[in-house]
Amino acid sequence: METSKRYKFLALCALMVSLVEAVDRNNFKTCEQSSFCRRLRGVKPGESKYELNLGSLQVSDTTIEAELVNKEADVTFKFVLTALVDNTFRVVVDEVKPLHPRYKVEGALDGEPQVSKLELLERSSEQVVIKSGDNKVIIKAAPLKVEFYQGDSLASVVNGRGLFVFEHLRAKKVEGDVVTNLDEQPQQTEDPGAWEENFKSHHDTKPRGPEAVGVDITFPGAHRAYGLPEHADRFALRSTDARGTDPYRLYNLDVFEYELDTTMAIYGSVPVLYAHSPERTVGVFWLNAAETWVDISNSKDTNVVSSIVNLVSGQQTETHVNAHFMSESGIVDLFVFLGPTPQKAVQQYAKLTGSAPLPQYFALGYHQCRWNYNDEDDVRTVVENFDEHDMPLDVMWLDIEYTDGKKYFTWDPIKFKHPAVMQQNLTATGRKLVVIIDPHIKREGGYFLHEEALANDYYVKNKDGSVYEGWCWPGSSSYLDLFNPKVREYYAGLYALDKFTGSTNDLYIWNDMNEPSVFNGPEITMPKDCVHYGDWEHRHVHNVYGLFYIMATYQGLLNRANNKLRPFVLTRAHYSGAQRYAAVWTGDNAADWSHLAISLPMCLSEAMGGISFCGADIGGFFNNPDEELLQRWYQTGAWLPFFRAHAHIDTKRREPYLYNQDVRTRIRNALRQRYVHLPLWYTLFWEHYRTGNPVIRPLVYEYPTQTDLFDIDDEILIGSSILAHPVTKSGATTENVFLPGGAKEIWYDIEDYRPLPGTGYLSIPVTMDKVPVYYRGGSIIPRKDRPRRASTLTHDDPFTLYVALDNNKRAEGTLYIDDYQSFDYKNKKYLYIKFVYENGKLTSSFIDGDANYQTKAWLERVVVIGPPSGIKEAKITSKKLGTVKLKVSYDGENRSLTIRKPGVNLQETFSISLH
Amino acid sequence: MSSSRLLLNFNLKHSILIILIIVCEILTSEVPRPRGVSLSRASLYDPEKDFVCLDGTISIPFTHVNDDYCDCPDGSDEPGTSACPNGIFHCTNAGHKPLNIHSSRVKDGICDCCDGSDEHGNNNVNCVNNCYELGRSAREEAQRQAELIKVGNQMRLEFSQKGIQIKQEKKEKLVELEKHKAEAEAVLKEKESLKNEVEVLEGAALEQYKKIEEEERKRKEEAEAADTRIEATETFNRFDSNKDGKVDISELQTRQTFDKDRNGEVSEEEAKFFLNEEESVDLEAFITLAWPRIKPFMMLDAGLFKPPIKEGEEEEQEHINEEHEGEAEELTEEELHEGEESEFGGEEDEEEPEEEIEEKATETSTPAPPQYDEETQKLVDAANEARKEYESAKQAVRDIQTELNNIEEYLEKDYGPDEEFAVLEGQCFEYTDHEYIYKLCPFDKTIQQPKSNSLETRLGTWSRWAGPDINKYQIMMYERGQSCWNGPQRSTKVRVACGSENKVISVTEPNRCEYQFDFITPAACKELASDSEDDVHDEL
Repeated sequence: METSKRYKFLALCALMVSLVEAVDRNNFKTCEQSSFCRRLRGVKPGESKYELNLGSLQVSDTTIEAELVNKEADVTFKFVLTALVDNTFRVVVDEVKPLHPRYKVEGALDGEPQVSKLELLERSSEQVVIKSGDNKVIIKAAPLKVEFYQGDSLASVVNGRGLFVFEHLRAKKVEGDVVTNLDEQPQQTEDPGAWEENFKSHHDTKPRGPEAVGVDITFPGAHRAYGLPEHADRFALRSTDARGTDPYRLYNLDVFEYELDTTMAIYGSVPVLYAHSPERTVGVFWLNAAETWVDISNSKDTNVVSSIVNLVSGQQTETHVNAHFMSESGIVDLFVFLGPTPQKAVQQYAKLTGSAPLPQYFALGYHQCRWNYNDEDDVRTVVENFDEHDMPLDVMWLDIEYTDGKKYFTWDPIKFKHPAVMQQNLTATGRKLVVIIDPHIKREGGYFLHEEALANDYYVKNKDGSVYEGWCWPGSSSYLDLFNPKVREYYAGLYALDKFTGSTNDLYIWNDMNEPSVFNGPEITMPKDCVHYGDWEHRHVHNVYGLFYIMATYQGLLNRANNKLRPFVLTRAHYSGAQRYAAVWTGDNAADWSHLAISLPMCLSEAMGGISFCGADIGGFFNNPDEELLQRWYQTGAWLPFFRAHAHIDTKRREPYLYNQDVRTRIRNALRQRYVHLPLWYTLFWEHYRTGNPVIRPLVYEYPTQTDLFDIDDEILIGSSILAHPVTKSGATTENVFLPGGAKEIWYDIEDYRPLPGTGYLSIPVTMDKVPVYYRGGSIIPRKDRPRRASTLTHDDPFTLYVALDNNKRAEGTLYIDDYQSFDYKNKKYLYIKFVYENGKLTSSFIDGDANYQTKAWLERVVVIGPPSGIKEAKITSKKLGTVKLKVSYDGENRSLTIRKPGVNLQETFSISLH
Repeated sequence: MSSSRLLLNFNLKHSILIILIIVCEILTSEVPRPRGVSLSRASLYDPEKDFVCLDGTISIPFTHVNDDYCDCPDGSDEPGTSACPNGIFHCTNAGHKPLNIHSSRVKDGICDCCDGSDEHGNNNVNCVNNCYELGRSAREEAQRQAELIKVGNQMRLEFSQKGIQIKQEKKEKLVELEKHKAEAEAVLKEKESLKNEVEVLEGAALEQYKKIEEEERKRKEEAEAADTRIEATETFNRFDSNKDGKVDISELQTRQTFDKDRNGEVSEEEAKFFLNEEESVDLEAFITLAWPRIKPFMMLDAGLFKPPIKEGEEEEQEHINEEHEGEAEELTEEELHEGEESEFGGEEDEEEPEEEIEEKATETSTPAPPQYDEETQKLVDAANEARKEYESAKQAVRDIQTELNNIEEYLEKDYGPDEEFAVLEGQCFEYTDHEYIYKLCPFDKTIQQPKSNSLETRLGTWSRWAGPDINKYQIMMYERGQSCWNGPQRSTKVRVACGSENKVISVTEPNRCEYQFDFITPAACKELASDSEDDVHDEL
């Protein structure tokens, strides 16, 4: 939602400086303004001081362990390499005897990683060679270097360039005491920000001094790097270098009117990176919750710096990608995924951090939000208008103004006097309500939450132990310390139906501002020397604050419904693992074509980072979209997993029914396009939950060897069966659409079923009514073609199967069916059906034979796209129906064949043959 | 159901209605037709024949009608199911108004028709037929409305009479004023000719005095022009270093005086500016066109010239100086130069300061008016007196004109077809919510005022009627209110409906800074044919 516009207004007014229409970059640090980034980026390649003492090597079934020594500072660390299942390795380096404990990230991993056996192949004082599965790892001692081989080819090297740094914790030297410690060699002059640091008017006391960690990873042969969300940037990562672009920054921040095409940090941080070549995909996951910067250099962007690097390190200038991870604190905890395909690498990451649990069906429908719907009447009128214009709508949303004075878990006593009745009115037509709940707590006497938090000592503290006060929507606010398990339990309890007065089980939650956003804090967030439960400084845990917050919300919603109903939570801040609790949206975008376009690469990056449930505010949050932009945005948003319109309080109303008939019709069509495909979306979310496969995918995910599509991010795949190329330019009359897969791949236009070959770029004429979207030949797409006012009302409606035949007149697909809302699927109450069409016959079978669900849904129609010719009739056979003849009809151009009313209940297996 | 009991409860008009409904019910049961088909279309669905889609596209066996599969492109084969995305379901709703609903509402678990027919056969939901209850309250409501309109209409007629009367009065006043105006204009004419006569005499008497003054002024001007010319020519000769009789860009570029942006060099553009955007100028052009631009900079350079600063600018400058301490001097100049360029665009701005200087110069150098001889003084006095009388006659005409304009403005305003809204003008109607008091002053303005203080915010100024074509008097627009911070000017849409009194009944802000008032008034009460009965007729 909203950033700090109002607050800034006050602040800026005071300064008499006019507000500019873009991000104020001065509010946010560059690498040069951040001491540890300066320090680590300044490390020279090829001069690594870190050596393994292989005399200390210990080998177990699954791990090897040895001392790692910083020769220069004479400090000893522990190096541990563990083999994990699924071609995954973990490298952990920590201090042996740290002055203070070092933070190890909690909450991100989905349980303890499963270990795998490793085998010692070779051991000398120079190196150790181990094997796990088909993979080999060579660990070199001096300097430290870890080479990962997939089969016999080198996939990735850790510390190949020698940029590894582990700043051990140390006592601050007293002034004039420099020479007394004879143990340490005379050090280089310390960075001026090592022990304390200023940014604008903010002072960071850094009580533990320098404690940064960094490592470089090279990917020989890699063509591209992907990942590292969240950035408002292209899908393929750009090369960053010391002279021009800052490294990709991962530090959850509330950036007002964020800029596009930059490596600046925004709301989320997912430190997973994939290096891709036609031969393989390798992933690395840098598990660290502190502020992190990542330099990327790609040999294709050869520049002065990388050639100097190559010169120094003696590397050949072959195709490769280099990455350099730098974090302010924590330990080195690195996972390496050896793929070798993009699917495998993403699934390996999902195995570690979890996939999104199956959402309720309604959550995939259309969401209508605005800052703010003014009162209960307003909410009712909006819904009535959607109904009057026959536009489907599943969820109404309320932004901060519904509260009593920005006190969460309360309702405005005048405007939202009957919240339960309002929710009943919504559910009467199958709808839900989502309200916003933010982590800042208004410091107001008499506010139960504030008083309870104070009384129980639940707030985040200043470095001196007093309660931290920041400024946010309510004015003076404090922040719950969610790292304390008791606080999370307390917080989850606030969602209990008897505690949150006026709430019902049809009320779901939107967690915003959870970076956390603090209007008067450094970089609009909490000071780094604030103190959390367990004596961790905010600097150690910043990037997982939002994660712990949504964790508690999710738990609260689970508890509230006795673990019966699947929670729905939307979050702005996120970190690896957030997918287990919440959907994510791209925050406060703007009504601008460039923002519409960037929504695709942003969500693709999130999807590769395990967060499939992603969307952007339809229409753009700031400013007013014109009609063309708004229509295109609906047409685009219909193909992203999270489909919500939202608008800033200063914008004009833009509910789709407010426009003229042409516009209304187009938006209604876009909404319907979404709704008819909900069975596919739902099935994809089910499969994501089971396998970690993203719901939306970049082309490279399905076509990893096709080098000419490595940079394409203006089109997306929905599963593997739909390719959408949304129109994101004003006044477009043609679109350059890339169809992948080669001459044998057929792509069918979803409106007229015209077949097109997968031979690369095609110029496709478009109109305001036309968006290039295709079914892949070879796929079967389940749909529900009957419009309803809300998705929940389609539960018993019949299905239509769209059977798009490939070159060999074959196709297959899946369909998942359940009750749309409960956790009964965990008790095998569902149908997971596989459809195969081959040799003129469509057959269904159950993938999980032991699962079952009593559905009323039946098969209404089968549309065979690219059908065989001369078909006169079809016959369906099932246990209950026996064999029944069915009518068939070709469309006018013989591009499709419709089989009329098979009528079989989906709970029954069947076959349909064409004659 | 007991129709007799119902009959007792209603007056004759309604009993007829009930009978019609019952007849309709009987017909319904007697004319078999597929579910979801209105009576008027029943004949199109003949079970004895194949069904032809109503758009004529295809023909299907009648068994395919309402078989929960969409065959017709227009959806007409599935009037009673949800199979066609574009279908319409007709609920008879006996006892209440019939209703057409989207086929997407059929069998979706929600009772949309009061007779429950849209959920027929859906075991998940049990729809209670409440058409008679709804119908009764609808009829009662309709009756209340009718009565309200009747009463309201009576009041409207009174309003209208008053409105017409006001208008009549205004018109009469207008005629009267026109007459006054003509009289006043005649007086003015007379006074004017009087004045002219006296002024001729006065003018002649003053002629010689004027001549002396004029000559003095001319002499001074010429002297000044000559001075300027000399100075300009000297400068020209100095600048024209190659002595080709022209000053060109390169010649100016050597002179730091013309480095307007103080970046250390005189760019071609900067030089060009001083040459009146020419490549080069000859002496004559230099004097007339270039010199006015050059001179201030040379004076600046010599420290002779302090640019005049307006008060507002001064403040701004101070502010800038505060922000850029140390650079103050430089910025002052920059600011000035920028202002010159962008705001005035060259020539005028250079003249302005000179003019001011000139004015000051003449003021101080003009001698006090000479003493006139007695006769002349008499003439001057008489002329002054004539001028005074002339002015007051003029004022009288102006006053009448103002009044006339007001009346004309009134007569141009649209107070409704029968002047029924006119009486609302001059009144204000308040609405209070928990935070604000809102005021609607029809044909004038809308106002918001916090309860806690009396700081009024204007939400709009009367602009126009803006209802739909069928009745534009349903909506009043008040526009051009106070601007919102960082937003548009406030505006108010007033929805006008029939009521037995004048009252604002709700105020909302659907869009930021766009307000909506609901206002009821007898002025909006007009008797119209009731549509509820029309529907039933249609059904029959």
